[in-house]
Parts: sequence; structure tokens; C-alpha cells
Amino acid sequence: MAISRHIEEFHGLPVTDFRAAADDGKLPQPAATAWRIALDYDDEIGFAEVWERFLETVAVEQVTAVVIGSWFTDEPDTLTEPLAAVLASADRLPALRALFVGDITYEQCEISWLQMCDVTAVLETFPALEELVVRGASGDWDGAGGLALKPVKHERLKALRFEAGGLPGAVVRSVAASDFPALEKLELWLGVGNYGGDWTMEDLAPFLSGANLPALRHLGLQNAEQQDRIAALAAQAPIVPRLTGLALSMGALTDEGAAALLEGQPLTHLKTLDLHHHYLTEGMQQRLREALPGVELDLSDQEDPNDNWRYVAISE
Amino acid sequence: MRQLVVLGCPGQRRVELFTAAARAAGLPAPAVLPWSELLRGRYELQPGAVVRIDSPGEDPEADRLLRGPALGAGYAATRVEGGPAWYAGLTAALRELASRPGVRLLGDPAEIAVMFDKRRTHALLAAAGVPVPPALDGEPVGGYRELRERLAAAGLHRVFLKPAHGSSASGVVALEFGPRGQVQATTSVELTPAGLFNSLTVRRYRSTAEVAELVDRLAPEGLHVERWVPKAGQGGRSADLRVVVIGGRATHVVVRTSRHPMTNLHLGGQRGETELVRAAAGDAWPRLLATAEAAAECFPASPMVGVDLLPVSGWRRALVGEVNAFGDLLPNLTGLPDGPAAGLDTYAAQLRSPAYAEVAHRPDAHRPDAHRQGRGELREAEGERPRDRADEGQLHVDATWR
Repeated sequence: MAISRHIEEFHGLPVTDFRAAADDGKLPQPAATAWRIALDYDDEIGFAEVWERFLETVAVEQVTAVVIGSWFTDEPDTLTEPLAAVLASADRLPALRALFVGDITYEQCEISWLQMCDVTAVLETFPALEELVVRGASGDWDGAGGLALKPVKHERLKALRFEAGGLPGAVVRSVAASDFPALEKLELWLGVGNYGGDWTMEDLAPFLSGANLPALRHLGLQNAEQQDRIAALAAQAPIVPRLTGLALSMGALTDEGAAALLEGQPLTHLKTLDLHHHYLTEGMQQRLREALPGVELDLSDQEDPNDNWRYVAISE
Repeated sequence: MRQLVVLGCPGQRRVELFTAAARAAGLPAPAVLPWSELLRGRYELQPGAVVRIDSPGEDPEADRLLRGPALGAGYAATRVEGGPAWYAGLTAALRELASRPGVRLLGDPAEIAVMFDKRRTHALLAAAGVPVPPALDGEPVGGYRELRERLAAAGLHRVFLKPAHGSSASGVVALEFGPRGQVQATTSVELTPAGLFNSLTVRRYRSTAEVAELVDRLAPEGLHVERWVPKAGQGGRSADLRVVVIGGRATHVVVRTSRHPMTNLHLGGQRGETELVRAAAGDAWPRLLATAEAAAECFPASPMVGVDLLPVSGWRRALVGEVNAFGDLLPNLTGLPDGPAAGLDTYAAQLRSPAYAEVAHRPDAHRPDAHRQGRGELREAEGERPRDRADEGQLHVDATWR
């Protein structure tokens, strides 16, 4: 599995590719869409130039959502400079509430090879931001850089998602150490060690306790080979009673993890339980359905329970 | 009337579908010249025969004759290797066929020879200004080490390796290099001590040793190396387009989608929704068809070619990935509603195209079952062409095809 689709909706808005719309002379209202700013694979110009064109063409002071697509062409490059260009124009984007970094499919670059950088400045520079998604985690060709985050305080952020084939433990720990009083939805695609996911079970404890996340209503600890262990922890986790949504999907969840969920604390209060991409038997799926009649249960993408090789949904 | 002969594989789908189309059009069933007989040189043709050249791909015996001597005891139909021998045998047999006095070919051995050499096809298209992915040019790649060096020098990190004489994704490898020295090869090739085998499973090789062995085994038979351009998608799957160009016009389009970078149907690809592509392409749709027609123009003596278009930039333009000499096996696919083959499958459309005028002479133009077998769509299409209909004795070869 790999990421093979560009996002079509973000922050409740349809995504519009800025250049395609500009070429067609069909620019939507600035606040009516999430603006995708991206390079084409054979562009002669750089990201900063396209970004500048966006600033000049659209009434960006009204723009609420931006999607950063590919910031490189033939030769993959780090996010550092493109992100700096976006941050440098923060004063022109007073209405920005949502930012998606890395709307890039595997046809362009594998997720675990996206060359990322420290994204702390995004939260520091946009204090009114409500939703942030960051995809990718790799370092650059010289082994430098890579996704990083320093503990940060942000009063307004409601939704945060890190998508990775392997999420660095340091980033997971920084999320835990940050102060997000308004954060309602947190999703971490944890990924595997081979692709830089050196997080540990201990790193996840603060999210399962929820002590420092007073507003959290949806928790996703996803895309992990150790999904069974995460499920077992979630079955006892103090945060769960106040959640409306729990996602333990995309990983190597087997009957063992699902049985732990069923034997643990009640889950019937949940609105949604997302377990898609799993290794559950039909029997266990049926038990879950029967035990959680009022819960919207996502059991799609069943993998073979008898397969000895169990993969997460997104790795390379 | 001149006798129509199909060079193909008797009883197999291509011949059967073409024969059905001929019958439905009120024509006599064509004679079939089996590829294996052609390759053995044991065949006679009526003077004045007109030969439609179709694929040898459905004839196991033809494959054995072509590749068997090169692969020896290691021969198996699923082997990847043997491309150069296959190519040499095929092109020699077609040249010999063309040299027979009085025989006229629907198709051109020289052009077919170009289409079955992906390097030559790429060069021809590029020289004609048809958009193609950038490729490694110059001397053939000798092996993995050399490939790595040349890719690095060219700044290429994601490429497709295609055996120069391969077809149906045989031996095709999607190769990519990551920022920390990672390498990943996605392919249906199974690497075994006994050789390379085509499989129905797309797999990934991630160790340098395996990838190097794969490339080292493929390279001696000739590799075309071109940039893996990021294809647009449909419904979360990679997509490309097969566009059949008949008589210079793009008549049939099929979207092929897959969760893998190669979209071939036998590797799990599926037909996608052409209407969704038209919607996604919007104003660019005619440009996509024009790109396919421009590729076909490089093969003027070929009555039909199947052009694989790689959609990029969110379906707003396309590059040509391949040109297939026998790219018309698309059962139950009717022509574009606004084109000259509306309602016709690829075979019926070819029979109606200018190249077939000489053999599509219909002695009994008003035989009722001709219409019935044409399944209404034919009738409808005919209804739009009253002038053709009056053209007694001709199977509606459309004077305005272009």
C-alpha cells in the first residue's frame, strides 16, 4: 500500500490546484477552497516562484486553508526553503486556519523518502492555526535534517496529524511535551523502524493518559506493527472514556489486540472506532460488531489473518 | 475481391474477435495464417492476398520457436529472457512475408520492428516532437553499477526499466532511489537461480544485491531506461490510458488503473472510468487524444496502433509511454461516441477504416444478419451515415475518417 491519491478535501473545503485553476481562468473565491500550491514534475521554476504567484494572484488575506504539494521536481529536495517561503509570508495570511504539508503521492515520491525539516516554526508563526497535517519524515541526501518538532505551546490548534512510514520518537515525545489546550483530534501514523520510526511504547503513554490534552476527543495511534500492544494499552487507557473517536487502524492488528479491546474498559460510548487495514478473523470482526452495536466501526481493508508477514498500511 | 488473411493464432481471442467482426460486417471469415507456420516458413498464400498482421502472443508454439533456441533447456513460456531472439525471429519472418510476390500487408514490418524496440520508438517519437519521458540515451546500459552512475549523472532518481523487446510488462521494473541510499524495485519479475520469470504478482526488491542481480540479468538483452513520470490517478489508483488510433484517428480509449505503478490488467489492473477522465481533463481532453494521434503519425504505414498515454499534471497533459503494434485487444470496448468508431469495437472499426477498403468489399450489403450481429450500435452508427449506406458494395469505409 502506498499513498496514491491527492487529497480532494481539507478543512471541510474542496481542494483546488492553484495553477490549474489559474491556467483555466477559473479561480474560486479565496475562502471557498483549500488552495493547493505545488510544482509539476518537470517544472523549470521553483516552489518559491509558484508561491509568490499565488500571493499575487489570489486575495490571500481571505484564504483559510492551504495545501502544500510537491515542492520539488525531478530531484527530490528538502522542505526547508519552501517552508521558509510560506512562513515568510505569514503576515499576508491572517485568515489561515489550516495547513497541509506534503500532498504527494507515491508516483511522485514515497512517503518515507520525503525530505522534511523542523516544523515547529509553523505553529509559532501561525498562532491562529486550527488544523495541521504533516506528511513525511525523512532526512536529506546527506543524512541531515528530517522531521523535527520542539515542544511548543499553541492555544488554538484543534487538529494535528503526522503521517509517516516511520515517525521519529523525538517528534512523538515533542507532541506529548507540547501544550495544546484546544487540541481535539490527534492522529499519529507511527510507522516502522526501517523507515525511521524509532518511537517506543513509553512515548505513547502521555496520549493514552491524556492528562496534558484536556480537549482531546479523537485519538489515532495508527500504522504500527505493534498495533496489538497499542490496542491492549488503549483497552485500559484513562483517556478513552472521554473520546468520541478512537483509531487503531492501518497497523498489524490481530485477534489478540481486538480481544484485549473487548476485554478492557467499555467502548460503547464511542461514535467511531477505526480499525481499517487489520488482520482480524471473520469471527473476531463479528464479535466486535456485536459488542459495539452503536459504534461506527470501520473494519474495511481486511488483510489475511493467516499471513505470517503482517504489514502496516503505509511504510515505504 | 482480394482474400483477407489474418496472421495470428487460430482459435485464440484476437483471431476470433476479428473474425466475428468480419462476419458481423457481412464479410467472409478471413483465412488464418498461424504464426508458427510463418516462422517455419511453411505456408502458401493466394496471389493478391491481403494480410492483416496480428500478434504472435497467443501462440505458445510461436514463442517456443522464437525463444526456445536461445533459452535451450531453460525455456519456459514465463521466462523473461530471450527478447533479442524473439525480436530477430519476428522481424525476419515479417520481412520474408513482405517479400512474397503479390502479397499486400496491412501493417509494415519496418514500423513493427521499431515498435518492438522501445529505444527506437522513444527516439522516433522524441525526434518528431511527441512528448515522451526523458530517457537515458547513448550506449546500452551494461549492468547495475553502470546504471547507477549514469542515473546519478542524469539526476534521475525514479525510472522505469523496460526490456527493449518486451511486451505486456514482461521484465518491466519501476526503480527508485531514496535519500539515504535506499533502493526499491517494483516488478512482476521473479528472480530465481534458474533465471527471471514473469509472475502475476507485483513484488518489491529492496536489497541492493537483489536489485543489482535483477538489473545485471536484464541489461544484456537491452534496456530502455526512462524517467518514471508521476502519473495522475483515478479513485486512488495509478492510471494510464490506452488509446487505439485507427487510420490516424483516436477511436478507442480505455483507462487502466492499478495500485501498482504498472497498470497491466494481468497484474491486477482494472478498467477505469473514461467519463471521469474526460471530466478530470476538461479542456485538455482533445489534447490528450491529439498526443496519441501524433504518436501514431510516426507510424504512417500502420493501420492501427495502440498508444499508451501517461497522464500527468492532473490529467491536463500526457506523455507517450509506448506504442503497441498489436494494441487492439480490448474486448467489448466501443469507440468514442464523438469519433468515427462510435458504437464499434476495435475490430469492427478497423474493418471500416480506409486501410481495409480493399478487402472490406461486401458482396451482400444488405444481408440482414449483418445488422443483427452488429448489435444495434452498428445500425445506429450506420444511420448517421446515410451517404455511406448508399455506397453499394462497400462496407461503409468512411471517406471522412480523418
